[in-house]
Amino acid sequence: MSSLETLARPATEPANNLLPRLAQRGSLLVFGLILLVFAMTAPNFLSAGNIANVFAQSAILGILAFGLTCVVIGGGNHVVSGGLDLSLAANLGLCAAVYSSLNNQGCEAWQALSLTLACGVLVGAFNGLAVLLLGLPPLLATLASMNLVAGLELVLTQNSVLPTESALLASLAFGYWLGVPALAWVLLAVAALLTLLIQHSAFGLRLYAVGEYPEAARAAGLGLRRYVFSSYLIAGACAAVAALCSAAFFSGSTTGSGEMLLSVVAITFLGVVFSRRLTANIPGTLLATLLLGFLINGFQLLNISSFWVNGVQGVLILLVVAFSAAVAKQEGHA
Amino acid sequence: MTPALHLKNLYKRFGATQALDGVSLRVEYGTVHGLVGENGAGKSTLIKVLAGIYRADAGSLSIDGHRLQAPTPRQVEARGVHFIHQERLLPASFSVGEALFFGHEIRRGPFVDRRAQEREAARLLRDYFDLQFPAGALVRDLDSAQRQVLQITRALLAKPKILVFDEPSVSLVKREVDQLLGIIRRLRSQGLSIVYISHYLQEIEALCDQVTVLRNGRDVAVVDPASTSTAQIARLMVNRDVGDMYPRTRAVPGEPVLQLNQLGAGHAYDGIDLRVHRGEVLGLTGLVGSGAKELLKSLFGLNVPERGEMHLHGQPLRLKSPADAVRHGIALVPEERRSHAVAPLLSVLENITLASLGSFSRWGLLDRGAQARESRRLIDELAIKTTGPDAPVQELSGGNQQKVALAKWLSRHSSLYLLDEPSVGIDIGAKVEIYRLIARLAESGAAVLVLSSDLPELIGISHRILVMHRGRIAGEFDARSTNSEQLLGCATGSGERPSGATAHLPITQKETADVQS
Repeated sequence: MSSLETLARPATEPANNLLPRLAQRGSLLVFGLILLVFAMTAPNFLSAGNIANVFAQSAILGILAFGLTCVVIGGGNHVVSGGLDLSLAANLGLCAAVYSSLNNQGCEAWQALSLTLACGVLVGAFNGLAVLLLGLPPLLATLASMNLVAGLELVLTQNSVLPTESALLASLAFGYWLGVPALAWVLLAVAALLTLLIQHSAFGLRLYAVGEYPEAARAAGLGLRRYVFSSYLIAGACAAVAALCSAAFFSGSTTGSGEMLLSVVAITFLGVVFSRRLTANIPGTLLATLLLGFLINGFQLLNISSFWVNGVQGVLILLVVAFSAAVAKQEGHA
Repeated sequence: MTPALHLKNLYKRFGATQALDGVSLRVEYGTVHGLVGENGAGKSTLIKVLAGIYRADAGSLSIDGHRLQAPTPRQVEARGVHFIHQERLLPASFSVGEALFFGHEIRRGPFVDRRAQEREAARLLRDYFDLQFPAGALVRDLDSAQRQVLQITRALLAKPKILVFDEPSVSLVKREVDQLLGIIRRLRSQGLSIVYISHYLQEIEALCDQVTVLRNGRDVAVVDPASTSTAQIARLMVNRDVGDMYPRTRAVPGEPVLQLNQLGAGHAYDGIDLRVHRGEVLGLTGLVGSGAKELLKSLFGLNVPERGEMHLHGQPLRLKSPADAVRHGIALVPEERRSHAVAPLLSVLENITLASLGSFSRWGLLDRGAQARESRRLIDELAIKTTGPDAPVQELSGGNQQKVALAKWLSRHSSLYLLDEPSVGIDIGAKVEIYRLIARLAESGAAVLVLSSDLPELIGISHRILVMHRGRIAGEFDARSTNSEQLLGCATGSGERPSGATAHLPITQKETADVQS
C-alpha cells in the first residue's frame, strides 16, 4: 500500500517544536551560565564541601517540590485548573511541630516518626478527598486546607519555636556518608525512589495519562480517582519527610514554614521546562531545585542580599508560567 | 449464517422523546457496514446502547451469536467490540509506545519496559499498516491521521472482532480520509467486521458493503451503496426529495457591496480582484494553502492585508480588527463553531443578542423584554429547535448551533456576511435550512460570501464561484453552468485531477482540540 507511505513522513514542522526546544536548551544553558559565573566570581563555590552543602540545603525545598510534582502530574499541569497542592509548606510546618512535640513528650523514636508520617499523609488524604469528593478545583481546595493546617500548627505550637533533639535529627543534621551530608542523601534517595515510581512504573505512566487527558484515561479503563488520590498521598508523605529534614536543619519546629510555598511552586513549574515532553517530572524538579539552591548559595557567597533571591524567583515563575501558557496556546492551535 | 453483530427491535425512550423506535442493525462478518442518518435519527443512542452505556427499554443485542442482556461496557468489550471515536484519545506528551500501551504496559519486573514498548509499537504499525512513524516522536508531533492510526492500533491490541468508527473523518483532510479508508479496507480484508458512521455519504459510498439508513429512531432501509446513489441515500435519510436540497436564491445581484483591488497579504494571497454585490451569494473555494481562508479572515479584520485596497459601498475600507469589521456591518460565521461562533454555556437568547446588545439597551441596562422578543422572532424564523430562549446553546444539535451563530448576526442586520464552511459537521436536514437561510439573506439585500470545500453545495447555492489556487484567483465560474469536476480541476491547477479525487476538497487543515473539559 504505497499510498499509506506518505503517512509516515515526519509530521513535525520545525516552527512547531521551536518554542519547547528553545526553552529546554535555553534553561539548561542558563543553568550552566549561572554555575559558570558563580564559579568564577564566588570564592569556594566549586569546592566539594560547598556543593555538598547546596545539596543538603536544597533537601527541604526539593522534597516538597517532588510532592507537588506528583500532584501536578496527576491533576494536569494547567497552572490554574490543574493539579496543585498549596498546603504542602503548611503541612511541613504541622508535621515538624507534631514531631517536635511528640519527641519532647518522650515518645519512642519509631512512634514519633510514624505518627509524623501519618500526619503528613492524613493531610494529603484530606486534600485528595476535598478535590475528589467535593469536586473543588485543587487550587481552592488546597488553599483552604493550607489555612486549616497552618491553624492546627498554631494551636499546637502557640506560634512559637519548639526546639527538640533526637538521634534521628542529629544524624540527619550532622551525619556524613562518603563525604556527603546526610540531608543530601535524603534528597537523592527520595528523588531516586520517586523517579522509579513516577518515571518508570506503570503507575507513573498512568498518572501522566490521568492528569494530561482524563477522557483518554477513562477510555483506557483507568480509575481516575485512585490515581489522583494517590498523588495527594505521596505529596503528604513528602511533606512529612521534608518536615524531618527541616526539624534536623533547625533543631526543632520553626514558624513561618508557609513562606516556602512560592519557591516550591517555582521549582516545580521550572522543572517542566527541563523536560523534552514539557511535563512536570522528578528529574526536572531535582535540577530546578539545585538551580535555585546554587543561586541562593552563590548570592550568599557573594554577600548579595538574599532578598534578591525572592525577586529572581518571582521572575522565574512569571517566565515559566508565561512559557507554559504559550505552549498550551500553540497546542490548541496546532 | 449468524451475523457478527445483530441489534434487533431496540426501543429507547428519554422523557418525551422516543430516541429508538424499534431499530435493527445487522452486520455480517468481514464487511464494512455504514450507518447514516440525520442528527437526532438515533445514531448516537444506538451506538451507546451497543457500547453498554445506555440500556435499551426493549429489544435484543447479539454479538458473535451470543445474546447479551443489558451488558456493561466491559462485557461488550470482552465480546470483542471496540470503538474508535472522533476525538483522538491520546495524551499529547506520550511517546508512540506509551500512547499505544498505557493501561496495558509491557513491563519488566515492576517497571515499564519503554524500549520493548517502542519496538513493539513499531512492529505493530508495520505489520498492520506498513507504516513507520518518526523515531522518538511524541503524540503532539503526529498529525491527525497518524493519531487516528495510533488510536486504531490501540483498539487492535485488544484483538477486536468488531470495530465501530464513530465519525472518524470529521477532522481529517481529504488525503487523510483516503488513507483512513485504505486502512479500514485493509482491516476488513484481515477479517474484521466494521461499523462506519459518517455524515459524508461519499465516504460511505466508497467504503461500505452495506448501509443502514436511520430515520426517527427506525432503520428505514438497508441498501447496497454499489447500486444506490448517494442522492438516493440522502433522500432516504431526510424523507424528502433532495432535488430541492440546494435552494438557490432568487435574488438578483444589485450594486457592489465589497470590492477588492489587487489585495495581497504576505505569501498567503496576492493580486485578488473581487466584487460581491447586493443580493448575491458568491462562492469561494480552494485547496489547503490556496489562501482562500486567509482572504476571508482579512475581510473580517483578523489579519491585515499589506497590498491593494478594499472598498465597501464605494468607500475605502481599512480593517484593523474584527471590531472595525462589525462596525462596518460585516458579519463572520467562523468554522469552529464551538470555539468561535457561539458561547456554548450562554443561552440561546444571550447568544442571539450578543453582537447587538447596544440595540437592546436602555439607559445602559439591558431590556430583557426586547431581547426575548427578538430572540423568539429569530427562533421561529430560523426554526431553531430548542426548548426555549433560555436553553444553553451547548444542548442544541450542531445544525441548530449554527443557526444560532447566524441569528446572532441577523439581529444586527449586517450588509456583508462571510460564512466559513457553514455546513460542516451538520446533518442534511439542517444543511438545507442553513442554505435556505443563506438564500434569504441574499434576498433581503445582503451580500453573502460563502467559503466552502463542498463543491456541490457551492454550485447549488451560489450565483458565482471563485476558485483560488496558490494565493491567486485561478478562475471564476457561473454556478449554473459549471460542475464539480471543472472547479476541482481549477483548484488543483493545470486542470488535471489527481486520481481518486472527489467533489470534496480539503480546504481546511484543522485538528480536534484535545477535549479536556
